[in-house]
Amino acid sequence: MLKALAYIFGFLLLGELITYFFKIPIAGNILGMFLIFIALRLKIVKLKDVKPASDKLIKYLVLFFIPYGVGLMVYFEVIADYWMPISIAVIASTVITLYISAIIIEKLER
Amino acid sequence: MHEFFQLPVFGVFISIIAFAGGREIRKKFNYVLLNPVLLAILFIISFLLIFKIDFEDYNRGGKFISFFLGPSVVALGVFFYEKYEAVKQNLKIFLFSVLIGGISGVLTVIVFLLLLKVPDFIVESLAAKSVTTPIAIEITKLTGGIPEITAGIVIAVGIFGNAFGPFILKKLGIKSKIAIGAALGIAAHGIGTARAFEESKLAGVYGGLAMCVNGIITALVTPYLLQLFL
Repeated sequence: MLKALAYIFGFLLLGELITYFFKIPIAGNILGMFLIFIALRLKIVKLKDVKPASDKLIKYLVLFFIPYGVGLMVYFEVIADYWMPISIAVIASTVITLYISAIIIEKLER
Repeated sequence: MHEFFQLPVFGVFISIIAFAGGREIRKKFNYVLLNPVLLAILFIISFLLIFKIDFEDYNRGGKFISFFLGPSVVALGVFFYEKYEAVKQNLKIFLFSVLIGGISGVLTVIVFLLLLKVPDFIVESLAAKSVTTPIAIEITKLTGGIPEITAGIVIAVGIFGNAFGPFILKKLGIKSKIAIGAALGIAAHGIGTARAFEESKLAGVYGGLAMCVNGIITALVTPYLLQLFL
């Protein structure tokens, strides 16, 4: 578990380091996700060495964003002023996204 | 009493028990709007309002919880490696679907919000509304929106996709289960993917992989698309 955590945080740190030095407009953790995938593919890192930590983190992923959800209370009035346009835009966009994504696979799938 | 609630342990404790309680309620009444995260958030907000506790005080502890979003995103890369064999057969079609679906998710919401004359900071906060919350939060931090608004709407989008996604897609004539799975992951991230697993295991795996890939695509295109329109 300790080794697995070291790998996960190591790749997170590497991602942050690269965005810090090269000032690329992508978050360090997203870069870390990409890099750990590549490292696993190239067999630089073994799956069994990272899996204990990654499984636990994914299992509780939803718990970790609760504080941001609670933070919405600070902006409640802002949202309340625009709830109609926000709902229309977000629902319409979600339905279109669902359909476009699905129809591509539906038509081309083998 | 005010100082007591400023102790980080308060924010950590209430987050954990609210989430555990939300999961118990979901187990008892299997109803989609009883999403554990939604229940936990509503419970904590009510508690803070009733006892007149500032969000900043709660967040002294909350920060310790949300810190783990960073490593969790890295963990998604491991998940992707583990499961990507499943999409190999349809890899090109899958990636094409995520690319086009992901870009339309960002593009359409920006255009609709601008047509409805919503202020720029809301557009910036909602551009990444289709991707998993930790990635959406990071994107919003870069684009200058408000991460808390992003988190709230992203969770709502997930619940919408989870509750109505398969129904809407079937009404629109989609029959393929993996198409439904991928679409749920692209448009409604992890909460939508949870519903994809109810369609079939493979649909769920497609959903999870689509969520990871769309996280990267959306992170790459959102800043540029926003620049184009704002």
